[in-house]
Parts: sequence; structure tokens; C-alpha cells
Amino acid sequence: MADNRYRCGGLVGLLALLAAGLTAVAAHPYLPGSPGDVETWRWLLAGDSGDVRRLILTDSLLPRLCASLLCGGALALAGVLFQQVLRNPLAEPSTLGVAGGAQLALMATAMLAPGLGVGSGGMPRGLVALAGGAGAAALVVGLAWRAALAPAVVILAGLAVGLTCSALASGLMLFNGAGFQALFLWASGSLSQNGWAIPQALAPQLAAGAALTLLLARPLALLDLGAEGAVGLGVPVRVLRLAALALAVALSAAVVSAAGVIGFVGLAAPAMARLAGARSLDARLAWAPPLGAALLWLADAAAQTVPQLAGGGRELPTGTLTALLGAPLLLWLLTRPGGQGRGLPVTAEAPSHRLARPIPWLAAGLLVLALAVWLALTVGQGVGGWRLSGWTELQPLLYWRAPRMAAAMAAGAMLGAAGVLLQRLTGNPMAGPEVLGISTGAAFGVILLHLAVPAFPVEAQVAAAGAGALATLGAVLLLGRRHGHAPERLLLTGVALTTVFGAVVALLLSSGDPRAFILFRWLTGSTYLVTPAIAMAAWAAALPLLALPLLCARWLEILPLGEAAARSLGLRLPLARGLVLLLVAALTTAATLVVGPLSFVGLMAPHAARLFGLQRAVPQLAGAALAGALVMVVADWLGRVLLFPSQMPAGLLATLLGAPYLLWLLRR
Amino acid sequence: MSAAFFELEAVVASVPGRTLLHPLTLALAPGRVVGLIGHNGSGKSTLLKLMARQLIPSAGTIRFEGHPLAAWKARAFARRLAYLPQQTPAAPGLLVRELVALGRYPWHGMLGRFGPGDREAVEDAMAQTGVADFAGQQVDMLSGGERQRVWLAMLLAQRPGALLLDEPTSALDIAHQVEVLTLIRRLSRVHGLGVVIVLHDVNMAASVCDELLALHSGRLIARGAPDEVMTPATLERIYGLPFGVMPHPVSGRPLGYVAQPVPGVE
Repeated sequence: MADNRYRCGGLVGLLALLAAGLTAVAAHPYLPGSPGDVETWRWLLAGDSGDVRRLILTDSLLPRLCASLLCGGALALAGVLFQQVLRNPLAEPSTLGVAGGAQLALMATAMLAPGLGVGSGGMPRGLVALAGGAGAAALVVGLAWRAALAPAVVILAGLAVGLTCSALASGLMLFNGAGFQALFLWASGSLSQNGWAIPQALAPQLAAGAALTLLLARPLALLDLGAEGAVGLGVPVRVLRLAALALAVALSAAVVSAAGVIGFVGLAAPAMARLAGARSLDARLAWAPPLGAALLWLADAAAQTVPQLAGGGRELPTGTLTALLGAPLLLWLLTRPGGQGRGLPVTAEAPSHRLARPIPWLAAGLLVLALAVWLALTVGQGVGGWRLSGWTELQPLLYWRAPRMAAAMAAGAMLGAAGVLLQRLTGNPMAGPEVLGISTGAAFGVILLHLAVPAFPVEAQVAAAGAGALATLGAVLLLGRRHGHAPERLLLTGVALTTVFGAVVALLLSSGDPRAFILFRWLTGSTYLVTPAIAMAAWAAALPLLALPLLCARWLEILPLGEAAARSLGLRLPLARGLVLLLVAALTTAATLVVGPLSFVGLMAPHAARLFGLQRAVPQLAGAALAGALVMVVADWLGRVLLFPSQMPAGLLATLLGAPYLLWLLRR
Repeated sequence: MSAAFFELEAVVASVPGRTLLHPLTLALAPGRVVGLIGHNGSGKSTLLKLMARQLIPSAGTIRFEGHPLAAWKARAFARRLAYLPQQTPAAPGLLVRELVALGRYPWHGMLGRFGPGDREAVEDAMAQTGVADFAGQQVDMLSGGERQRVWLAMLLAQRPGALLLDEPTSALDIAHQVEVLTLIRRLSRVHGLGVVIVLHDVNMAASVCDELLALHSGRLIARGAPDEVMTPATLERIYGLPFGVMPHPVSGRPLGYVAQPVPGVE
């Protein structure tokens, strides 16, 4: 026990030491003497209040330092609460849609009601963000209330609401690109201060949160026994879950309103505490907040000093540096032996009914898909309004309509199948193919290409994306080999990689570079650029890749039963996991190359199939592939006709179509 | 089958800061029902997991049917030996028949045909454990005892030569306990299965097992036929309570009881 404390303490100390060094660098230009000098400190504590240099230190640097500590601590605390209540190591402040809701509220008010002057001196941004975030969380809780806030249902509802909000926000961005740069910067977290107002507001909020957490700590620890066990010990489970979720949402919303959406700390700090040996809930509650505080302090100090050390240039967003510093640290902790324990028990699947005879339903699904294909090919909007084209009229149009439709269909089917594989492999309902970091890796490759070469053919983009995806897959396999691709480590590795790439993408998008806008369109999943050759290639990849999972159907039945059962049935776990992982990667890469890193279909199609009653591996695979293909075909068609002659990315529309359907399935 | 069933040589299991099993050397004869008894945390489950290849020993070697565990191929091992963990995992969405059929994986593998022989093994396993009546129900909807029998059926469908069972009767009522243990004993007698079974109820263990192994704090402290282990002195060493032993009024087998009144009860 003592040595666990030592390891957590050592980590906090190391981060804080580095941060203190960088802070000293940041403060150095404003100090009259060396920091080791007594005079310097006397000047700082009781010097002339009119001195500008001193004012910068006391009213900008120091409050900023306090704000970073408070925000980091609050986010980490919220992360521990979310992970404990939702029983999932991937849960974090954005799981309940807080971040997405806040972002959407900001964008919507800035665009639809510019009179309010959000972000330019009028209404405070914090208040709008708070309202958005709390609104989204309230919606999620309302949706899951009937299921006694069961973790699996809360998570699914949260993901659906959060993704819908982000999709809507991205849609607004696309139509009003240039105006949102400032918001984008803010959205990735900024701790700039001019005075003590924000730290002074945050400190009592965090203190109250910590006090309430202490009150809840004991009953929360009993949730480790499962809902029945906790009820048996007299814990009112639904009320407890509501209280803890409300507390965690309040903490994250307080941070959002103070400093924008600072990602990753809420997920990483609890994970780091756990990996460094803090096993019990008490230990995690005690060690995650200092870790989060130190991490954010370090990131923020680096954000201020790196441009300064590099010889000028504008300040970097803190959120980006949190990711760039935190993710490698998490990766390092993940590759070290020990400290793993049993890991957090993962959320059980939401209970659902089961279809006795899946074949007729799957056939019906195929029919609906055929209908959608016909609709997508023949119905369009032209100069003279809506039109249904006959065969002769259609022939010249097919060149334009068929390839993108076919590519969208192939990509949707592949992502759906990849999601089923990954969720069965990890036993985690929050695992979508994008979690592995492969699609972000592909995006990273494309970004590097954009930065390196001014103009290039579409094929070069495909090649760059493929290279990025392969490199990421290599990293995931290499890092996971040591632990036999154990699910929790696999997912956290993917999250860390995704975070690093995502941070670079966000940095580029916030830079105002005109190329960023073109990239953004690809990132949101557009199919405009698909040529017949790409569509053919997509199907050439899809057909074998969709057939291969059928060969390992038996593994997919056995893997969800857990390690002990799989091993005693004679499954070679590292081999089986590695091969399934390879398939997931191949499917995701092929789909990403065609339609960009689309995050929704691969996550949600498996749930849609399962909630529909397709429970066994093969029917679920078929159902998810069908659902993915259907959603993408319809989304691509809507994107083409809805705002004719403008186009909307199919990825965005797929989210907006699929999320409500999933919520409806959950309500049943 | 003259080769020893299990041979352990100076096997140690430890986690940082704690030794779960001190060096243990042991040979078990084939075709017998061996009971593991001992207090909570005495290392019973650890020993069973080591033998089932679920845990890798920190030191020492384990041989099963003459070959070191590491030399066995995964599926070949699963065809010879089936293991039931203490806590059976959730099986979301699976029907009883489907779960039991997974027990055929070691035989047909990833792509092999699920043939008539496999079907027969599944039906037979379900009939023997009395779960055929709910073959078409979802596993996760069953009661704890029913679920335990379904998992046992899956093990039987493996048609193994050895069973390692970690408290297979913990969720069963007395009637089903007797039924399951009788089945295990019959399998051992008729088909020559070697069985290693962790049981909490020492009297139940004494009545089904051919041999008892008693562990205390990760050390083997007693070993022998039930009549030899079921003595007041040995039971007191195992459980740290004064014990008495009397002959069972019907069968005449030794029956242990705690030889002190429960405080506060007249």
C-alpha cells in the first residue's frame, strides 16, 4: 500500500516540479531579480501596486496558475465520479454530453442571436455554455430515468445526445466557417485570466464539490458490489447515481463555464492514478485530483512558455498541450507492468429482448436498403424542384450519383461490422472503431499531406490516410502486445493516440489556415469527392473484409464471456484478440479512406442491431452492417438534396439520423 | 492410465507483497475425486487456477498427463480438461443451448462443422445436469442455481478427461447439491474422469471425495482419505475451531461438527 502512495506521489511531484520550472520561466521577464533572492519575494508580496510588471504577475500569471490547478482538480474529481457511477474506464465529463451541449449552445447563440454579443463583451460565454451543458446532461438523465439510471443506458443516451450536439455544432460551423475561430480556440480550453474573479468563483465550487464527494464516497464505493449488492446494503441506488452524476456534471460545467472545454484531464487523471496503483475508490478520489491539477498546471505553463522559448509566436491552446503532454504520459504508464489490478469492471450491456427468428427481419432490412438505394439514385432536386428520374434520364446522372452512394454504403457497412467486432472483443459498449485511434491516425496522415504539399490528386490523399492508419495500428499493436491486448489497456491506448492526433487537428483548425476548412469538411465525413474508381475500390475492400468476420464468429461468441472462460475453452487469447483487432483496423481504415473519420456509425450500429433483438454474433454483424449501410445511403442522399445546390457531409447527417433512432430504441 | 494425472513440483504463486501458495510438491492419481478444503484465502482457488492454466506459477512446474502445462496446445488442453471458475461470467443474449454448445469449441475449433456428434454431446450434457427443460431460455434470465448447472453442462459438453471445479455447488439448494455431486461422482466412476473440486462444506466433501487435500495459508497441511482427515485434531488445525466427529447415522461416514456452542444461543 505504502508503495502505491509513493508512486502516485512521485508522479504528482514530478509533474509539479516541471510545471514550477516552466512557471518560473514564464514569470522571469517580469521579475526584478532572481527568484532565489529575498528582495524579489518582498517586492512581489508588498511592492508598489502601480507597478505594471508586478500587476502582470499578481493579476494575470498567478490567478492563471490557480485557475489551472482548480480546473485540473475539478475535472479529475468529476472523472473519478463518472467512472465510478458509470462503471466504465472510458467515462469522462463529455460522456454525458456536457461538452457537446456547451459547444452547441455557444455556436447557436453566436449565430442565431448575434445581438446577445456572446464572446464579445455582451452576455458571458460561461453562462451560455453552462446552460447548454447542463441542458444536455438533464436530457440524458431524463432519458435514462426509467431504467433507474443504469450505467449502460446512461452511457448510450449520453453518447447519442453528445454526438448529436457535436454534429449540430459542426453543421453550424460549416455554414459559418470563418466567424467561429475565436470560439474554436475557446472550445479547446483557455485559461487566460485578467484578475482573480474566476479562481475566486471556482475555489468555493470545488471545495463544495469535494465536501459533497466525501459525503458520497462510502455509498459510492458500494457500487463496486453491483446494483443488487448495493441495494442489499441499503443504498438507494437510483438516488445515489443521480446525486453523483449531478455533482460530477456540476463540477465539469463549472470548469466549462470558467475555461471552456478542456478535454482529456477528466479521463486521463483517474486512469493515471489507477495505473500508478490507486486501486480503491478512496485512493482514486485522493490521488486523481492532485494528478489532474499538476497535469493541467504543467500543460498551461507549457502553453505560455513554449512559444516564448521558441522565439515568439502566439500562445498555444492549453487543451492542445494537455493532450500533447498527457497522452504520452498515459501511454508510458500503460506499457509499464503491474498496477493493473482487475481494472474497473466494465458496464454490462443494457438488457434487451431477443428475436427468435432473425432471418426474415434481416431479409426485410435488405429490402429497405434496396429501396433506399433506388430512392437515392432516382430522386433528386434540380433547378426545377424535386424530380423522380426515369431510366433514360437517369443514365447520365448515374455517373454523379452512383459512386458516392456506393462508397457511402460500403463505408457504412464496414464501420457497422467493425463496431460489432470491437465491442465484442473489448466487452465495452463505449468502444467504437474511432476509439482505437485509427481513423484519427488516417486524418493525421491527410493533414500532414495538406501541410507538406499545396496541391495533390485525390489518390494521394487516400494513400496518406492509409499510411497514417497503418502507423497508428502498428503503434496500438506494439503497445498492446506486452499485455496480450487486454481490453482496458487497448482502449486507453487508443484514446491516448486519438487525443494526440485530435489535439494537432484542433490546433490546425484554430489557426485560421484556409486549408483547414477543406480539411474540416473531410473530417466531418463528406462523400463529394468520390470517383467511380474509389467506389469500386471501396467495394473491392468491403466484400472480403465483411466476409472474414464470419470465419471468427465462434471467437466472437466466446470472447464476451471473459478471459477465464475463453482460456478454458482452448482459445488462444493473444492470437484471437490480435486477429480480431487486425480485422477491425482493416475495416476502419478502408471506411475512413472513403468517407473520412466518421465517428457515429461504428459506435451506434452495433447497439441498434442488438437493441433490435439481434443478439448472436452473426445476426448482429449482419444487422449492424445493414444498419450502417442504410444510414449512410440515406444520409448521403439527404446531404445531396436537402440544401441543393449546397451539400452537407454525410457523416454529420448520419449522426443526426441515427441518434434519435437509437434513443427511441432505448426508450422501448 | 498409469501415468500420474497431475504432478506439481515446488509450485509457487505470489503477487507483489504476498505469497498465495508456498512451494508445493504433489502428485494426484487419475480417476479419483479429490476435494480441496480450507479456510477463506487458504489458496484453494489459486491452486485450482494454476492447474487449469489460468494462472502462471511464479516458480515450479506443473505436469498434466505427463506433459508440462506450457507444452500443451490450447485446444488439446481444453479437450482433456475443463475448468469452472468460482464466479460464472454474464452471457449477454445467449440461450442455454447456445452456451452449452460453446463447450464443443475445443473439438470443432474455429471453422469445423458442428456435426451430429457435437449435437449429441450437447443434448447429453443438458440432460445429465437437468437443464434440458430451459434449453431455449436466455442464460442471464435464469436463477443463480440454474445458471451454475448450465455452466456445468457446458463443461460436460467438452467431454473432458478431467474436471476442475471451483465451488460448483455454492448457489445450489441441498437437493441439487446432492444431485450435482452424485453426477460428478458417477462420471468419475463410470468414465474414469479425474476431478479436483473446491468445496466449502467439509461434510459434503467427505461424502463425495476419494481424497481430501487441506490447505492453510497457502500450505498443504493435511492429505488423505476422508476417514483420515476427518478427525477432531485435523479439522481444528484446518479451521481453527474445536471440532467433534461422529459417524453419520445412516451411511456411517464421519461427520464433523463444531464442538462449541454458538455464543448467545441457549
